[in-house]
Amino acid sequence: MKLAIKLLLIVVLGFTSTVILAAASDKAAQDAIAAADQARKKAASVKGEWRDTGKIIKQAEQTRKKGDFDKAIKLANKAERQGKYGYEQAMSQQTLKMPSYLKY
Amino acid sequence: MKKILVKTKIQKLTACLLLAGMAFTAVSSVFASPEQDRKSIIEYFETRFVGIPLSEYANGVYAYDTVGRESWEAIEEFPPYEIAIEKGQTMWETPFANGKTYKDCFPDGPAFADQYPRWDKKQAKVVTLPLAINQCREANGEKPLKYKKGSINDILAYIAYESRGKKTHVVIPEGEPGALAAYEDGKKFFFTRRGQLNFSCATCHIQNAGNRIRSDNLSPALGHTTHFPVYRSKWGAVGTLHRRFTGCNKQVRAKPFKAQGEEYRNLEYFLTYLSNGLELNGPGSRK
Repeated sequence: MKLAIKLLLIVVLGFTSTVILAAASDKAAQDAIAAADQARKKAASVKGEWRDTGKIIKQAEQTRKKGDFDKAIKLANKAERQGKYGYEQAMSQQTLKMPSYLKY
Repeated sequence: MKKILVKTKIQKLTACLLLAGMAFTAVSSVFASPEQDRKSIIEYFETRFVGIPLSEYANGVYAYDTVGRESWEAIEEFPPYEIAIEKGQTMWETPFANGKTYKDCFPDGPAFADQYPRWDKKQAKVVTLPLAINQCREANGEKPLKYKKGSINDILAYIAYESRGKKTHVVIPEGEPGALAAYEDGKKFFFTRRGQLNFSCATCHIQNAGNRIRSDNLSPALGHTTHFPVYRSKWGAVGTLHRRFTGCNKQVRAKPFKAQGEEYRNLEYFLTYLSNGLELNGPGSRK
């Protein structure tokens, strides 16, 4: 009898921890996606958004909904990097620099 | 000791003068007049492709792509854009629901493509031909046409065909700071690196014009606007200049801007200005 109770407890604990971990992973994926979208918007604000950033964020969101949180986070991080680089690129180009091969 | 000090002072002065000179050169090229820009770019191409007359750039990449030119000339014998011209003529001649026609908006038409793009003082912005067409339609109670695909290309093809032989003639009116600012904005767009590949328009169409990108020969910025709208084999249809801008931006993996938005209209203003004096020969056909 005692053994049965112990087993039941182990099963319940295991299930609960899985649910908690899944929720935590989902939250982490949601946060990563939100951060990526913020980076994308920041790049767009200076006309520096890259072509695929929005698509990658959508992919991340779809992957998250399917429950593959690790992949979703990976995709979101990639999109966030693109947003960051796009912003930095646009900022580096704020001042017009004429190429040296043109002579005036 | 004194001699050394004097020498150091002279060195410092020389360095300062040199730096000032370099800074002046850099600044003067950034703030060069539109005509200085155009001349500088023409000079660049004259040096890069020796012996090609300026007028040849109206044919775009076929000014120097001799192999591609043979195919292009063969295609032009039975031009794939002919149907668009015919449909465009019908559009031009068919009255709107209110009985008026395009001619009421454009009394100089249909051969008036050389008047665009232009600075519109009232609207305080660059007005391109597609934009003017839609403004005409809306003023007459018609729905505006889409700016990249579809029947806007028919009416543009007809106007371009009728305008053949006229010369590109973009004016940046003096005493209109907005016009010059729009030109400068387009110029900045052209030389700005963007997208994951970190290319500017100039990277391909000035610096690497004539070089191959995979199997394609990169076209020169000079003459880019003479032949639009264009039938592209890739599209299987006639498309607008802003559709092509969109494609270019996507190719460098940048998010494209809205067709007929301020960015592309100003870019068109700058790019068309560079082709001033070149003959209009649209609609054209390209790979």
